[in-house]
Amino acid sequence: MEKLVYIALFAPLVSSLFAALFGMMPKKQFVGVVTSILLGISFVASAILAHYVYTTEEAIKVTLMDWIGAGDLHIPFGFVVDQVSVTMMTVVTLVSTVVHVYSNGYMDHDKSFNRFFSYLSAFVFSMMVLVMSDNFAGLFIGWEGVGVCSWLLIGFWYHKPDVSREENPSISPSWAANEAFIMNRIADLGMLVGLFIVYWNTGSLQYDEVFAQLPHLSGSVLNAAALALFIGAMGKSAQFPLHTWLTDAMEGPTPVSALIHAATMVTAGVFLVIRANPLFSMTPEISYFIAVLGTFVAFFAASMALVNRDLKRIIAFSTLSQLGYMFAAAGLGAYWIALFHLAAHAFFKALLFLGAGNVMHAMDDELDIFKMGGLKKVMKWTYLYMGLASLALAGIPPFAGFFSKDAIIETAFNEGTYILWAILVVTAGMTAFYSFRQVFLTFEGDERYKKYGFHPHEVYRYVLIAMSPLAILAVIAGFFKGSFEAFVTELLPEYHMSEHTHHLAWLLGLVVLAFAVGGIVLAYKKYAKGLKRDEALEATWYYKLLANQYYIPNLYEEFISKPYAMISDIFWNRVDMKIVDATVDGIAKFLYGTGDGARRMQTGNLSNYLNWMAVGAVLLLAVAAISAAIIG
Amino acid sequence: MIGLSHYLIVSAVLFSIGLIGVLRRRNLLMLFFATEVMLNAVNIAFAAISHFYGDLTGQMFAFFVIAIAASEVAVGLGILIVLYKKHGSLDLDNLASMRG
Amino acid sequence: MDNILSVLVFLPALAGLLGFVVNKESARAYGITVAAIEFLLSLWLWVSFDTNNAGMQFVELIPLIPDFGVSYYLGVDGISLFLVVMTTLMTLIGIASMSITENVKNMVVTLLFLEMTMVGVFVALDAIVFYLFWELSLVPMLYIVGAWGGPLRVYAAIKFFLYTFMGSLVMLVGMLFVAYIYHNVTGVWSFAITDWYALVLPIDYQLWLFAAFFLGFAIKVPMFPFHTWLPYAHGQAPTIGSVILAAVLLKMGTYGFVRFSLPMFPDASVMMITPIAVLSIIMVIYTAMVAYAQKDMKQVIAYSSVSHMGIIMIGMFAMNAEGISGSVFQMLSHGIVSGALFMLVGVIYDRRHTKLMSEFGGLAAIMPKYALIFGIMLMASVGLPLTIGFVGEFLVLVGFYEVSPVMTILAGTSIIVGAVYMLSVYKKSFFGPVTKEENKTLKDLTPKELWSFIPLVAIVVWLGVYPKPVLQPIDNSVKAMLAFMDEKAITQEAKDIIKVPHVSAHAREVK
Repeated sequence: MEKLVYIALFAPLVSSLFAALFGMMPKKQFVGVVTSILLGISFVASAILAHYVYTTEEAIKVTLMDWIGAGDLHIPFGFVVDQVSVTMMTVVTLVSTVVHVYSNGYMDHDKSFNRFFSYLSAFVFSMMVLVMSDNFAGLFIGWEGVGVCSWLLIGFWYHKPDVSREENPSISPSWAANEAFIMNRIADLGMLVGLFIVYWNTGSLQYDEVFAQLPHLSGSVLNAAALALFIGAMGKSAQFPLHTWLTDAMEGPTPVSALIHAATMVTAGVFLVIRANPLFSMTPEISYFIAVLGTFVAFFAASMALVNRDLKRIIAFSTLSQLGYMFAAAGLGAYWIALFHLAAHAFFKALLFLGAGNVMHAMDDELDIFKMGGLKKVMKWTYLYMGLASLALAGIPPFAGFFSKDAIIETAFNEGTYILWAILVVTAGMTAFYSFRQVFLTFEGDERYKKYGFHPHEVYRYVLIAMSPLAILAVIAGFFKGSFEAFVTELLPEYHMSEHTHHLAWLLGLVVLAFAVGGIVLAYKKYAKGLKRDEALEATWYYKLLANQYYIPNLYEEFISKPYAMISDIFWNRVDMKIVDATVDGIAKFLYGTGDGARRMQTGNLSNYLNWMAVGAVLLLAVAAISAAIIG
Repeated sequence: MIGLSHYLIVSAVLFSIGLIGVLRRRNLLMLFFATEVMLNAVNIAFAAISHFYGDLTGQMFAFFVIAIAASEVAVGLGILIVLYKKHGSLDLDNLASMRG
Repeated sequence: MDNILSVLVFLPALAGLLGFVVNKESARAYGITVAAIEFLLSLWLWVSFDTNNAGMQFVELIPLIPDFGVSYYLGVDGISLFLVVMTTLMTLIGIASMSITENVKNMVVTLLFLEMTMVGVFVALDAIVFYLFWELSLVPMLYIVGAWGGPLRVYAAIKFFLYTFMGSLVMLVGMLFVAYIYHNVTGVWSFAITDWYALVLPIDYQLWLFAAFFLGFAIKVPMFPFHTWLPYAHGQAPTIGSVILAAVLLKMGTYGFVRFSLPMFPDASVMMITPIAVLSIIMVIYTAMVAYAQKDMKQVIAYSSVSHMGIIMIGMFAMNAEGISGSVFQMLSHGIVSGALFMLVGVIYDRRHTKLMSEFGGLAAIMPKYALIFGIMLMASVGLPLTIGFVGEFLVLVGFYEVSPVMTILAGTSIIVGAVYMLSVYKKSFFGPVTKEENKTLKDLTPKELWSFIPLVAIVVWLGVYPKPVLQPIDNSVKAMLAFMDEKAITQEAKDIIKVPHVSAHAREVK
């Protein structure tokens, strides 16, 4: 089994290095094939491991070698394959494999085909390190690793120039990449501080040792550690106020958005909370804060998705919103439900993004859904896939999203946090509305694309086949809820609905369903017949507010980026040059000036020198006499 | 009775005359004379104090000073002659090539 | 080879003297050969170094002026060993990658002399010998900046020389005073650092002496506000000068703190934790912001050096093994990474004769190999895990967290501000469309350039993934030093703060 662990972990690394060998060469089709196969191997290994853990109910622990050892701190490269990590491994490798195969088609005409696969596989490796590590430091390796890969992949088309925010809200791929990296770094500082708190209070960074020590720690330490770690999670999972990078990250190629910014990396924050559940379950205040923030983000992001016109950004906002759901579940103590939604979401959201990729491919990278419409005639399969994924996302039974999201909403009710419950229910309605607004505007109604001169066509058949596992899982994943619960609650705390909730379960489900169906029906009425723009609505302040993401990116620019640049400039030109350096030069100038002044004594006239000598002698005599008088 | 203090006063007066000469004169030859006057003022003091203490070291030192002064004059006058040949004058105001 | 250290110190100097008779064409090959031999010798030193012994090894002791206790006294421990290895490595790579065409012979000879002084500083165990090499190292650097530098070279060279020289003089006074006290206490003269360690000084003496040494070291580091000579020196120095300056010469300052200030004045060091930490935090944040404001690529790297040295300084005053070991490791890491970054700036300067970022843009498409190596070094510089930059930075911050969480968070912003300026350099130079016509025909790295970067890239990754071979000897010596400082400290406060590490049950298990 140990070998399988290493195969699952290192196959993506080998894949990445292999592709990197050809990174600077023109497209080589076999690079795409080989990397996809290696990822497939990693998936098979993960699946076998999952089966092993499922049947034996025991975790596999391996230690590769020591990493850092200094003072009392010892960090090994240790990996653990237990119920939680194996779930993540399977989900990650499955989606990655699909995305790799898909990218063969999507990146077909790209000059940097090989480079793309190198980055993509490197990302999978980092993600595997993140989920498999048996200590916080190893998690942090993966954490930063996915950050860099995300930076590389968002900025993949780095040659595009910067444009104004009005023209493209993300400015440019390289700008979006830097924004993502820096925002994540802000959160990573929190994460690092969390590690420090854990280390100095428990003497270790190994999960099992740390969790064993937790009961001996004081409440304030636990709160501090939980808060710091959650700040880290907020960055990676793009929670408010560190959320703006996620929508800008849509500048990356669409397979990247599917894999990194929907299915895997952004869920790392949720994974962290689930992984550290012993810590978070001991800090009810922080957990409640997580749940509230999660609920807020769920609603907040959904509201921005309502009016957006960008195909990918809508899905990005919906990702944000679903991450909010996951945090709400984790914050309320239903860790396994959060993990379940994480997995189910990975399938249908990746499917949705890949579908969006197909549309973009067909539409020459056009993203404005107002310019599409009626695509169902030429893109039957993509319509089917995106429709399925949207149904799952909207939480319509029997699709995956229904089971996972309904459970979260039920949890909110069960915990007695009725306000959260109400917000989550309303958000579910909004989710259904914006998902189907997008689907209908893209695939139904009048064929607006003809006006803009596009010639859409369906993508390669193998690409469609590659997407099918995700489609199947988006449909059926929900049926495994029971066995999934049994499986992961071996490790995670169980969560049961109270008697009361249990009785009301069908009613609650019905309410959620009503909102979801209502959303879809509304979207159908408004958009299925074609686009009818409501100028009056679009001119209202609240529409503008939503369309401009509550002006938060502008606020960040005005109140953080610009002042930072300005202060930097002042520090350099005013402080460093005019004060610090000028002081040093001032001292030098003073000495130089004194010398220059004293130079006048050097007249070259012997007589003057003799006079000076006499003056000096008299002065010396005087000093001698005075000091003799004082001492004597 | 002529005592030590008289000698010392003479010495001091001579020294001051020499010093004023050094400070005021512009001619190098005159400067030399002024220096000689100062040296001899010191010699008087040496001899007088030596006698006062009954210690011959002072008088010995006076001889030493005379010897040094003699050699200094020998070398110095040589330099003066060369200078005079070169510049045609011994006026210090004309000899300021070391101006800083 | 009992005299390996003497060989290491004087081989480059003797070879440098011989270098005058080598003809001009082969000067460069000669320099590479000598530097390679020197590097192999230093590797041999590492191989035969006993990693379990925390004390001084390869000790050589020859009395020079017995009446005043001055002796030729050399030795290495885990702390200095790797600085020596790094010095020889960076000199070798520096000479190999050198792109200077004028007076190559003089440059090679100068560099070999410089190598002698740098190795000498790191292995000297006698204060006078240390001081000798310390001051001598200024001369070749003055010459390198002054003779091969840019338009302001004379100003920069003199500023560098006088500034650091002034600090060193104050340090010399401190050294003489320590020797004087030593004489008063024991009745014999000695300038041996190991003898001085045994000296227990009263607090006020410690504070004054700490201040005297501080001035010498802090200017060299350079700590805020003594840092302004550095941007000028880097701005004017030729590439090779910047590489050596950033990689090795700055480390002499931080090394001085570990070698002298901490073990000799433990109580004063503990009392000075807060002021030094404050200065270090200013270094980290303030210079990172100044770096962000720069328009010249080389100046960004120069200021980033100051910022990173702040991390090294704060780790050193963590007073626990995590922090100090991390700090020493970070010295190596910064040496390799900033050296490489300066070399990278040199590559583009050789091609375009400008370092202004506004002149570049889109280089990633034209020079992919260059962009790749720059990217790797950038990531090492911002402290990405599994690169060399992370290990030191992480340990430093872990270590200092025990002293002050708030100040650690402030210092930890280095991972943010560092990313800000480095990514902005990368974006401005490598991303975006190619706008300048001259850039369209630039050549990617030549094999010579590529091969000088490959060893550095290998080290960056190797020591990021598996730092143990280096970290462990450092850690051993640091632990020994801490135990010794704790024993020697006279105030209870210092004893409380200096943390003597114990071998925990877990550590034994891992071993």
